[in-house]
Amino acid sequence: MQDNREKCRELAARIYELDGEVYRCVGSSLGRTFTGNKETTIKSLAGMMYTRPQGHLLRSELALINNMARTIPDVKDRHRLLDEYAQILKEISELPDSFGTVDIIDEERARLNTANLHQKFSKDDRLIVCIGRSHGSAGNDIGFELAKALKINYYDAEIFTQVLERLEAENDSVNDALQHIDKYSSKRSWNLKKMFQEFNRYHGLPTQDAIFFNQSDLICSMAKKEDFVIMGRCADMILKNNHIPHISIFIDAPFELRVQRIMAVNNMKFKEAVHFLKKMDKRHARYYNFYTSEQWGKAVNYDLCINSASYGLEETVELIERMIAQKPKHKH
Amino acid sequence: MRKCAAFFVSLGMMLLSNVVPVFAAGTSEHAAVSVPIWMCIPFAGLLLCIAVLPLVAGEWWEKHQPLAVAGWAILFIVPFAVVFGAGMATETVLECLINDYLTFIVLLFGLFCVSGNITMEGDFAGSPGVNTGLLLMGTILASCIGTTGASMLMIRPVIKMNSWRRHKRHLIVFFIFLVSNMGGCLTPIGDPPLLMGFMRGVPFFWSLHLLPILIFNTAILLFVFYHLDKKRYRRDIARGRKPDISKPGTEFRIEGLHNLIFLVMIVAAVILSGTLPNLPMFQDTAGNVLGIHIFGEVTLGFPSIIEIVIILLAAFLSFRTTDVSIRRRNHFTWGAIKEVAVLFIGIFITMQPALMILKANGAELGITEPYQMFWVTGALSSFLDNTPTYLVFLTTAGTLGFQSGIATTLGTVSIPALTAISCGAVFMGANTYIGNAPNFMVKAIADENGIRMPSFFGYMLWSLAVLIPVFILDTLVFFL
Repeated sequence: MQDNREKCRELAARIYELDGEVYRCVGSSLGRTFTGNKETTIKSLAGMMYTRPQGHLLRSELALINNMARTIPDVKDRHRLLDEYAQILKEISELPDSFGTVDIIDEERARLNTANLHQKFSKDDRLIVCIGRSHGSAGNDIGFELAKALKINYYDAEIFTQVLERLEAENDSVNDALQHIDKYSSKRSWNLKKMFQEFNRYHGLPTQDAIFFNQSDLICSMAKKEDFVIMGRCADMILKNNHIPHISIFIDAPFELRVQRIMAVNNMKFKEAVHFLKKMDKRHARYYNFYTSEQWGKAVNYDLCINSASYGLEETVELIERMIAQKPKHKH
Repeated sequence: MRKCAAFFVSLGMMLLSNVVPVFAAGTSEHAAVSVPIWMCIPFAGLLLCIAVLPLVAGEWWEKHQPLAVAGWAILFIVPFAVVFGAGMATETVLECLINDYLTFIVLLFGLFCVSGNITMEGDFAGSPGVNTGLLLMGTILASCIGTTGASMLMIRPVIKMNSWRRHKRHLIVFFIFLVSNMGGCLTPIGDPPLLMGFMRGVPFFWSLHLLPILIFNTAILLFVFYHLDKKRYRRDIARGRKPDISKPGTEFRIEGLHNLIFLVMIVAAVILSGTLPNLPMFQDTAGNVLGIHIFGEVTLGFPSIIEIVIILLAAFLSFRTTDVSIRRRNHFTWGAIKEVAVLFIGIFITMQPALMILKANGAELGITEPYQMFWVTGALSSFLDNTPTYLVFLTTAGTLGFQSGIATTLGTVSIPALTAISCGAVFMGANTYIGNAPNFMVKAIADENGIRMPSFFGYMLWSLAVLIPVFILDTLVFFL
């Protein structure tokens, strides 16, 4: 089965390269067929090959490359690439029909999971812990303590914003837009000049989306350089989409206890705290759902879900530490 | 509503029962000869080929399209020649080729060439807001330079801006709805049926009366599009797609901008083709348009020749004055225009019996109300050429004896009736890929540039789900 998977991957890589070569020979600037990230595209193409019900999709995708290849002006190049296309098609048709497995494991996901350490985690990979949390569940404190215990960096929304602001300032661009961070659903100001500036700065994208894309880039580049704990920012999904190993954790606690904690920490009245928490939960859910199309706080989206009220702050940190401690030695 | 339902039931019954031979209006000058309805089979067969063969035998279809088209055309011409004589068959085919197809394909060719020489260089990223703005811009532009011109000019920038996205076929479908069809309803330049109306005496700016309907439809469609696009845009983001926005600031420039002069030349040629036939110097003493006699009663009029010469000259100059690198960056190929040229020559020839039946029976359909005119003109324009369909129903309306309205050379036509016929012909061309020429061109260009477009029937599902509800609303608001 492993051989077949490797064969699928090799074919997928060839398809990706073929697409690039066809696009180069056509000389167009309108965009190639597979415009996504190379690794992601190869994985999804390989996935289509070994999940046969999706076979028709693969055929349609390949037909698009063929459409473009047929328009290559240089006859020699056209024949060369159409031959390669035909060869790939032939090899795909010769693939065995079934690659079924009865294991519950989602290999794609497990490969990215730092906790699933036995075979997947290489020594070159960084330790990245993504923590999602409901407001008032002490998630931020747990994340901070965990980073301290693991002796790695800690990034929450504020720190992240500062890093981005600094980078934006280095790029000599409009950095005041960053105040919108994490406020997708909040009211927007209708300042025409500012709107135009932001439209120009962010290539016509909504500011919030552009910030999200910049965050994604930053998270991915940081993930190649350092170990860290990151709070929120949909970091788990961003890393998953970019095939970067990480652990995703969601920390929650019963609503009443969260209310009590908010009342104590923020010096709020009961009704005020309830209203505040509901608003924050809604905002978090909306943000996560908007950028990931997944449900915020739903157990299947995470590797580990913890009720912090069952363990308390210290015990929760220890629990996560114990889990991470089982892995082979890291660089940190 | 009951009246409405009764109308559609009776129309359906009439069409079902109308299997007896009918009389050919197009040929009524020669003789009142009957055109059997079975002669429409080649047309239906060709449509079926266009719809089904790309799905079941894609490679064969691509290689043998001209053969298949020629086969269906012969299947019409030979029986037609047997029934009506070789002379009439030749005349019918030449009439549609010389006077309909030639100007049609030359116009498409000219616009295709000139727009292919204009490229937009920039790094705008296709987001729901930007895409909605582009569609709105294209819709407005369509009435200024025609649906074909606007489609050819806008399609490449739209594809380019959205190249980072995975899910974008809906964008092209809505592009066809709005830019390639509806946007053209405001002026005779916008869409050929309105030009035909202008040639028959409808004032040039009368079509601006359709503005409220266009605004209504555009608002609904853009609202639906924005939300649909937002959903798919989110799906793209969720799957890790992102545009390259690393460079601060957006660069935007248009190259080959001088080609706008040639675009204006083409638009002027289209307007001339509508105005010159009415000038005395282009008419003989009997009022017929002067031209080169081809065969029988087939004549290629001087106004058409002038139109063709100007358009071809514009295309030639455009090619001579534009750097080849622009076309290369635009991924300019002859594939799209070749496909349209091949398919539409077959469609134009094989649809002749259907048009003859329609011309003969148009007046007998009992269509008197605006909503009836809207739906019947529209339904037929979805599959037949919308220009003759418009003309048939304009002629029918002209014979209804309206006391007030627009005075045309075909009689006085009430404003609600003219509005309904115009909207039906222009809007419902969007119902199928073959309803309007730019539809197929846009599809072909999208196909060549990595966008998996819906099949013929798949596209019809889109129009059934999105357009038909809008047309029902149009009926309720404007035509009842």
